[in-house]
Amino acid sequence: MRFRDFTAVHKTDLMVNAGEFFSILGPSGCGKTTILKMVAGFLEPTEGTVLIGGTPMTGVGPAQRPTALIFQNLALFPLMTVWENVAFGLEARGMRVAERRRRAGELLDLVALGGHEMKRPGELSGGQKQRVAIARALAVEPSVLLLDEPLSALDLKLRHHMRAELRAIQQRVGITFIYITHDQGEALTMSDRIAVMSQGRIEQIATPEELYGRPSSAFVATFVGANNVLHGRVTSAVNGHLSVDSPLGPLRARKTDGVAAGQETLIFVRPERIRLDPPPTVENRISGKVVRRELEGAYLQLEIATETGQRLLAQVTNADESVARKIGESLSVGFNAVDAQALPPGPLAVER
Amino acid sequence: MRNLLAIYGRTLTAIICLMVLFWVLAMILVPQIAMLHNSLWWTEKSGDAAAVTLRIDALYNDIGVLELDLAAAGDDEKAKITAEIESKRSEIAELESKEVSARRVYGFANYTRMSALHFGIFVKTMFFSALVTVLALIVCYPIAFAAAQVFTGEKAALLMLGLVVPYAINELLRIYAWLMILDYQGVINSALAWMGLVDFSKGTAIPFLQSPGAVFAAMIYAYILFMVFPIYNTLETLDRNQLDAARDLGAATARIHWRVAIPHAKPGIAVGCIMTFMLSAGSYSVPQIMTRGQGGDWFSQLIYRQFFDANNWNIGAAYAFTLLVACLVFIFLVMRMFGVGIREIAR
Amino acid sequence: MSTAAAIGRTPVGKISASGRKWSELLLGAYLVLFFVYLFAPLLVMSLAAFNTYPQPSITQWQGWTLKWFGALADDQRILAGLVNSVLIGLGVIAAAIPLGLAGALLLTRVEGRYNGILYGVLVSPILTPGIILGISTLVFWRNFGVAGGLLLAGTAQATFIASYSMLMFMARLQRQDRTLEEAALDLGASPWLLFRRVTLPFLMPTIATAAVIGFLQSIENYNTTVFAIGGDWTLVTEIGSRFRFGLTPVINAIGVIFVILTIIGAIAWTILRQRE
Repeated sequence: MRFRDFTAVHKTDLMVNAGEFFSILGPSGCGKTTILKMVAGFLEPTEGTVLIGGTPMTGVGPAQRPTALIFQNLALFPLMTVWENVAFGLEARGMRVAERRRRAGELLDLVALGGHEMKRPGELSGGQKQRVAIARALAVEPSVLLLDEPLSALDLKLRHHMRAELRAIQQRVGITFIYITHDQGEALTMSDRIAVMSQGRIEQIATPEELYGRPSSAFVATFVGANNVLHGRVTSAVNGHLSVDSPLGPLRARKTDGVAAGQETLIFVRPERIRLDPPPTVENRISGKVVRRELEGAYLQLEIATETGQRLLAQVTNADESVARKIGESLSVGFNAVDAQALPPGPLAVER
Repeated sequence: MRNLLAIYGRTLTAIICLMVLFWVLAMILVPQIAMLHNSLWWTEKSGDAAAVTLRIDALYNDIGVLELDLAAAGDDEKAKITAEIESKRSEIAELESKEVSARRVYGFANYTRMSALHFGIFVKTMFFSALVTVLALIVCYPIAFAAAQVFTGEKAALLMLGLVVPYAINELLRIYAWLMILDYQGVINSALAWMGLVDFSKGTAIPFLQSPGAVFAAMIYAYILFMVFPIYNTLETLDRNQLDAARDLGAATARIHWRVAIPHAKPGIAVGCIMTFMLSAGSYSVPQIMTRGQGGDWFSQLIYRQFFDANNWNIGAAYAFTLLVACLVFIFLVMRMFGVGIREIAR
Repeated sequence: MSTAAAIGRTPVGKISASGRKWSELLLGAYLVLFFVYLFAPLLVMSLAAFNTYPQPSITQWQGWTLKWFGALADDQRILAGLVNSVLIGLGVIAAAIPLGLAGALLLTRVEGRYNGILYGVLVSPILTPGIILGISTLVFWRNFGVAGGLLLAGTAQATFIASYSMLMFMARLQRQDRTLEEAALDLGASPWLLFRRVTLPFLMPTIATAAVIGFLQSIENYNTTVFAIGGDWTLVTEIGSRFRFGLTPVINAIGVIFVILTIIGAIAWTILRQRE
């Protein structure tokens, strides 16, 4: 999809399975909303086609597509009552008043809003508006429900609650949800599969577990969850393990496609995989000094400076005895080769 | 256009476009062009055209006299008179066909033939309209500022009410009020007589209405509020903190206005000036009422006369077009001076 | 340093406070003068409606009367003019509101190179002297054999009243949440349903305001109407012609009615505005 000279989304092949909760995750401006608008029919792709259920959608307007969109600001009609909002799609299809009133009631019950039929959207709370928007979209019995960051306007607590609710509704109605978000927590908790996007390209499509555990690019590794980044050069690749020469000394990592002997590489280690005072079985060992200590309640976050100046982030649970570590204390840290993901060098997700 | 089509579909989009097209062409542009076209031609009558017209008038008179005779005449004379009337009628028909065949000639004569008197009235109209504009601006800026920034709540609402009421009362009635004040036996002369300054019986009262100042005074009164509201609208959007910040930084009142408030109000000032000037220059009501339909010192009255008294639409159209161009020039000058675009002007 | 600042500040504060008090007094006096200037002539004009003296005057006072209101009620030409004014007013809003709305929709929804030019053309009737609109309409329609009258007066008025309504609609449309229309479209609404159920309800308050303002502008218009009205007359052109022939306090009686209606309307408008 191109706008004048700007390519919003590069050539993309994306296959979403029926009945799946599929998320598109990426920083703002990465092109995820453009994909959504192409699926909904508000934009026609410059090249290529959108198929829904195997049917090409070229030339089919948003009114005719079997999709329903939930807008970022929800776009509830402020001058209509709640039930009129929900029944609007049915009104557009020429259903009789009594029939669409009944159907609206059913849908409002489905989203636990029975009894609010006669209210105006302005009289509802944020979470209730959310559920009206979902009911309105479901009323037209779409085969695909498109959600454009619908939770971004809610406060933190409600957002967490709505995650579970959305997932539950999706499983109840069994239709495909395509969910756009820049919040990895939302994507990881709700989705069957996730596509991570950056600068108009899809970086990886995977299940939440795979995405977190085996990111396929430097961008994904740093965008989804926190990660320690270590630079190095691969010296040998044997038995599924890589030997890497790094400023911190020789390191061992898990082998990944696209990384071979003699190449520059980036090694990613999750903070919770860093071990303090590692037992002898741990392959990689580094000594350093605690420079920052943040207790987050259940977890303790430690920042450790090595002798080369490299900073490492470690996360331990509050149950661990290493909670007692103080700033300035020297210690030894380490990680297993299976917990170290070596990837070809590439752009990292920049902290915003 | 694609946006409109995507949302409203072909039929509604077509209706919208057709309506705008009709408005632009049949109501705005082509009528102006028709007026311009009318101003560019006149009917040239052949050399003896004036004589022909006179002859026709004379014949109609004769017929009138003969018809009176006919009613009073005896039977023997009737046939003779009837024959005479018939011959005169046929002569009229012949002459009128000649008169109608006058030629249409194109040129700028309707403009260039404007007499020195009429041109003087044009210049005077422009000058006084500009003066009305400047005076209105000076008088109205403090009012608009007070209504927009100084007063709040009930007081501001009351102030606005005080401005809206005279603004909404019909223009003619407001002008009429001034007619009564400036009349020979009006309020001012009566007050002066009561003070012993003039004496009606000796005829020393002042004939205000005979001076052009009367039209000028009523004109300021009639259009002054068209300056207040545009300035008020822009000043209302000025964040009061900006004024406080300027004051806090030590700016004197005059500097606060010159550097903060007036620059912010520029679009409003421009609109106010354009409206006031345009209304004054094109006003027919004020001179009409203040002169009780007798005088002719305002350009709009000249235009009216050309159309409806002299029945010369071509010259009337030329005068009207002259006025239109003058107003356009004024608009462009104001836009230049205040550095505002058309989008900011009409809001 | 801090004491120096504190010492320095006190007298400065005093000066500016008293200076402000003076400027407030000055402004107050100016406002009083201005409002006397605005209202005194209207008072003079209104009082004369209750004077028995047969010429409009307050200086030749011959006692209170209401007879001029009675004379007004019997004045057939004025009543016929009022009917004509209302007819034109209704016709004008019926034409100007759809035109203004169409113009506003086109200008707010279509971004193009000619958008600015179209905007300039569509607002030009507001910036054109009223008599020019009357004249150009008269001259143009003569080509089609339409002579001056109620129809042409209405047409000429609608030309600029449509521009005013367009500006009102544009202001409203710029505040519209466009996703509402997209949402309706996404739910399968036809353009007509969308327009009727989403766009029109959103614009309803503006349509009402534009209709009221347009109607009043039409009724009160003189400069445009007098050129296009031909042999017919409206209330206002009839008032205008009375200054030439037969000026009596009946005109002042009309003035009193206008003043009262305007005050009532303005108060209602102020209350509505405050409530918003």
